[in-house]
Amino acid sequence: MAQVVVVTSGKGGVGKTTSSAAFATGLAQRGKKTVVIDFDVGLRNLDLIMGVERRVVFDIVNVIQGEARLNQALIRDKRVETLSILPASQTRDKDALTKEGVQKIIEELAKEFDYILCDSPAGIEKGALLALYFADQAIVVTNPEVSSVRDSDRILGVLQSRSKRAEEKRDPVKEHLLVTRFDPARVERGEMLKLEDIQEILSIPLLGVIPESESVLRASNTGTPVIMDGESNAGQAYADAVARFLGEEKPHRFLEPERKGLFKRLFGGRAA
Amino acid sequence: MSAAPRPDTPPRLEPFRLRGANFNLLVLRLLDPRPEAVVPAIGDQFRRAPGFLRFAPVVLGLADLEVPPDQVDFPGLIAGLRGLEIVPIGTTGGTPEMRNAAMAYGLPPIRSAGGKESEEPAPAPTAAAPAEPPASAPPPPPQPAGAMRPTMVVDQPVRAGQRVWAQGCDLIVTATVNAGGEVIADGNIHVYGALRGRAIAGGGDNAEARIFAQNFDPELISIAGYYAVREGLAGAPIGRAVQVRLTGERMRFDPIG
Repeated sequence: MAQVVVVTSGKGGVGKTTSSAAFATGLAQRGKKTVVIDFDVGLRNLDLIMGVERRVVFDIVNVIQGEARLNQALIRDKRVETLSILPASQTRDKDALTKEGVQKIIEELAKEFDYILCDSPAGIEKGALLALYFADQAIVVTNPEVSSVRDSDRILGVLQSRSKRAEEKRDPVKEHLLVTRFDPARVERGEMLKLEDIQEILSIPLLGVIPESESVLRASNTGTPVIMDGESNAGQAYADAVARFLGEEKPHRFLEPERKGLFKRLFGGRAA
Repeated sequence: MSAAPRPDTPPRLEPFRLRGANFNLLVLRLLDPRPEAVVPAIGDQFRRAPGFLRFAPVVLGLADLEVPPDQVDFPGLIAGLRGLEIVPIGTTGGTPEMRNAAMAYGLPPIRSAGGKESEEPAPAPTAAAPAEPPASAPPPPPQPAGAMRPTMVVDQPVRAGQRVWAQGCDLIVTATVNAGGEVIADGNIHVYGALRGRAIAGGGDNAEARIFAQNFDPELISIAGYYAVREGLAGAPIGRAVQVRLTGERMRFDPIG
């Protein structure tokens, strides 16, 4: 049975698309047939981060409006065989998405894929509501910052009341907390929220903590999901989180500030 | 749950007020359960006095129906009456099973306050029901008039944007009320986690209501319409277990436990 997983946050710029790309790639690397859908119609970032922007012909809106078949719009990843991307449209807005249209697409994808990741747009408007409506599981992306935690709290409430599972009074959507852009040094200095505080407010299970890292921006700019960068902390943290998502036990890493040795302190060099 | 951000109007503390009121309502006592018998008969009478019942809310009297509830075609009756521009809004009398059957179609039992409908066997008052209870809801237990309603208990965190309203009773939240969340009760409010959102107790006029919080850290506190926002709580024991009550027109914050 295919699992529909929404990657959501409420707030913008916290790392939803980066996390969607990393998670989709990570699941596919582990042999799961995975498709990631960009619900951010009108903005369209996922294809850039996945490095497939030059291969986009049709998009989700074309499929919903019957202008293209689903298979024509799906982009098969060249690096990981079991990974596909369904891009968003840049020339339409979110009103082009309909519940029936999205349902048809998800039902059709469910025949072929194990995991259907929905990369939600920011906000709690139509695009975000449609992205989470069909979800079986939710990855709630949060930064260690008050407004981000507040918005995540809000979106958890929306998941509990406005998802299809909630409307049909089935088992609730399974929620996972993914803390991104975590900077242990700034947390230690009290400039960012502590992990315990975030967990205390949101009170959902912690899936992973992704450290703030330059490698994320580098990966975005080169169109390579950061999880493919096995050298970077962020890439390793995403790989751990994917493993935990699939039920493995992994200790959380990168929670303490890196103690720089004298050599590093003298010659600069920041955490990769 | 209010999804849309508020427009830029001056903020008001109360988006609504709850007040009791007495209404004179017509009771339409059904002597026959069949819509095909009832609706044309009303239609006939209606034609003799056009406009008499137009858009009038009526309460369906069920006491005289001597058939089992499953033989009463409530959807047919409702549709037929609506067709005559008569709006059924609830029920009175009849067996609990009968009232329950009507409730499944959005007609809650309505308690007659003055007992004007004198020949009617006094209906057992029932707890006010939600507008659309599931059809399988058990019949509300008969209660003596003026009885307490059971306390509402919430075990989930009340999250930003969520609003919990304990109508006509006390509210107990065993989890936290997060910033941006709102708990409202006509009676007392107890929060056994942290209270970081808004707590509004005592409805509009119950000055005896109190608020209890295990970890008192609210955005806004209100009892019986008197309120204090966080900025005005500088002297309150923030972060402690606290009881809030009204003495005269002042709110008192006392550490407890």
